[in-house]
Amino acid sequence: MQKSKKVVVLGHFGVGKTSLIRRFVTNSFSDNYKVTIGVHITKKVVEISNENTISLILWDLEGTDKLDTIRNAYLLGTHGLVFVFDVTRPSTFEHLNNDLDIVRSKVPNTPLIIVGNKSDLVDLAELDVLFKKNSLSVDFVTSAKTGETVDDLFLKMATLLNEDA
Amino acid sequence: MNENDKLEILKDILFDDGHKFEEKISKRVKNLEQTLNQKKKFSDKVDPLITQQLNEFKESIPSTLGPVITATLKQEIKHHKDDVVDALYPVLGKMVKKYVAQEMQLLQEKIDNQLGFLKRWKLKINSIFSGKNEEELVLDQLAVAKIEQVLLIEKDSGILKASFSKSKTIDEEMVSGMLTAIKSFVEDAFNQRSQNLESIEYELYQIHLQSFATHYMAIVISGNYTTSSKDKLQDVIFNFYNSFMAMNLDLVFETDTTNKPIETVSKPRIERELKKYFGNAKI
Ligand SMILES: Nc1nc2c(ncn2[C@@H]2O[C@H](COP(=O)(O)OP(=O)(O)O)[C@@H](O)[C@H]2O)c(=O)[nH]1
Ligand SMILES: [Mg+2]
Repeated sequence: MQKSKKVVVLGHFGVGKTSLIRRFVTNSFSDNYKVTIGVHITKKVVEISNENTISLILWDLEGTDKLDTIRNAYLLGTHGLVFVFDVTRPSTFEHLNNDLDIVRSKVPNTPLIIVGNKSDLVDLAELDVLFKKNSLSVDFVTSAKTGETVDDLFLKMATLLNEDA
Repeated sequence: MNENDKLEILKDILFDDGHKFEEKISKRVKNLEQTLNQKKKFSDKVDPLITQQLNEFKESIPSTLGPVITATLKQEIKHHKDDVVDALYPVLGKMVKKYVAQEMQLLQEKIDNQLGFLKRWKLKINSIFSGKNEEELVLDQLAVAKIEQVLLIEKDSGILKASFSKSKTIDEEMVSGMLTAIKSFVEDAFNQRSQNLESIEYELYQIHLQSFATHYMAIVISGNYTTSSKDKLQDVIFNFYNSFMAMNLDLVFETDTTNKPIETVSKPRIERELKKYFGNAKI
């Protein structure tokens, strides 16, 4: 039987949440920045192994600079969370640990994947230094533009949710 | 300028040229009075005459005084614009409000008509593809309400639990997520989780929403969804809930069934039940 899981994608404005989902679902990218208003929902069926698939229902939330203003109702009952920041914009990760605490308190005991996006714009060696300096533990470094590690990230989520159920 | 002054101006405007008329009438009344005094025995005949005169006077006001008033008003308004505006503002304010409200209503209707025009085009296109003529399609649409689709959705996550539909045309999993997002948004925005969004209109469809403890149902209806259809639909929903869903999904048990083992219900089982209750329901 096919399972369906709700995954919420969160993060500040313009970090690339919508782009990551678009890359994953339709394998495309656009430079045009269209602000997401409210929430946008897409779905992708992920094959974990032979005959074992899982439906990810992806909730792309509008960006916000204050995490506590997110509508709690959107987070209710979510099975997984992806938190995205922009590696080129310190304002999106300066308070990352604090942001994550807020998210974890709103949605406890739920798999959470932390993603630094727009890796195509920076030197990866510099990134390591940056993460260490800010004591960030980042699960994936992605580029929605080139597609780098985007699938890996969502596959990881699918696997986590598959074990969960 | 105080209220009295304003009233005086208005009086002037309205009754200036009326003086002559009044004089004439009062003269006549005086004459009649004299006649009365002189010939008291004729009073019976005279009384009705006075009444008649007065009535005639009343009736002639609009035709005789009307144009004069209008002309004078026009002039006075020209010369005392501010005063007139002051005096008339309370009355005009209401009129303007009403006028604007009516214009809005008209605009709304115009938009509706425009949409109607679009719908007619859609019908034309549909008729080309479906082989039915437009009249048949219009009749189809005006036809009694029909249940097209039933979605049983987990309340919080928006995950589709089971569904029943006559024709699968949409991605039900995505629609379930979207309906849940809309529902959450509206209920959150009005800050009332205790109140539920009841229905959504989408093109030619009505989507009826009914919340229960852990799940909610979204029923897509085509045709003329009247209050009586709604009544019937609610009966069907509650019948389904009480006979199947309460026990199997919300785990609400009657006291005498508490000893029965709890079974998790499979999706095919729920879908069979949905079909049983909603498949042939007439609403
Ligand atoms: N260079 C680069 N630009 C990106 C990447 N991801 C997103 N963008 C751009 O960043 C902007 C914001 O992206 P968007 O997905 O709308 O962000 P959201 O507000 O988080 O949904 C857009 O102009 C995207 O084209 C990336 O990996 N690399
Ligand atoms: Mg977006």
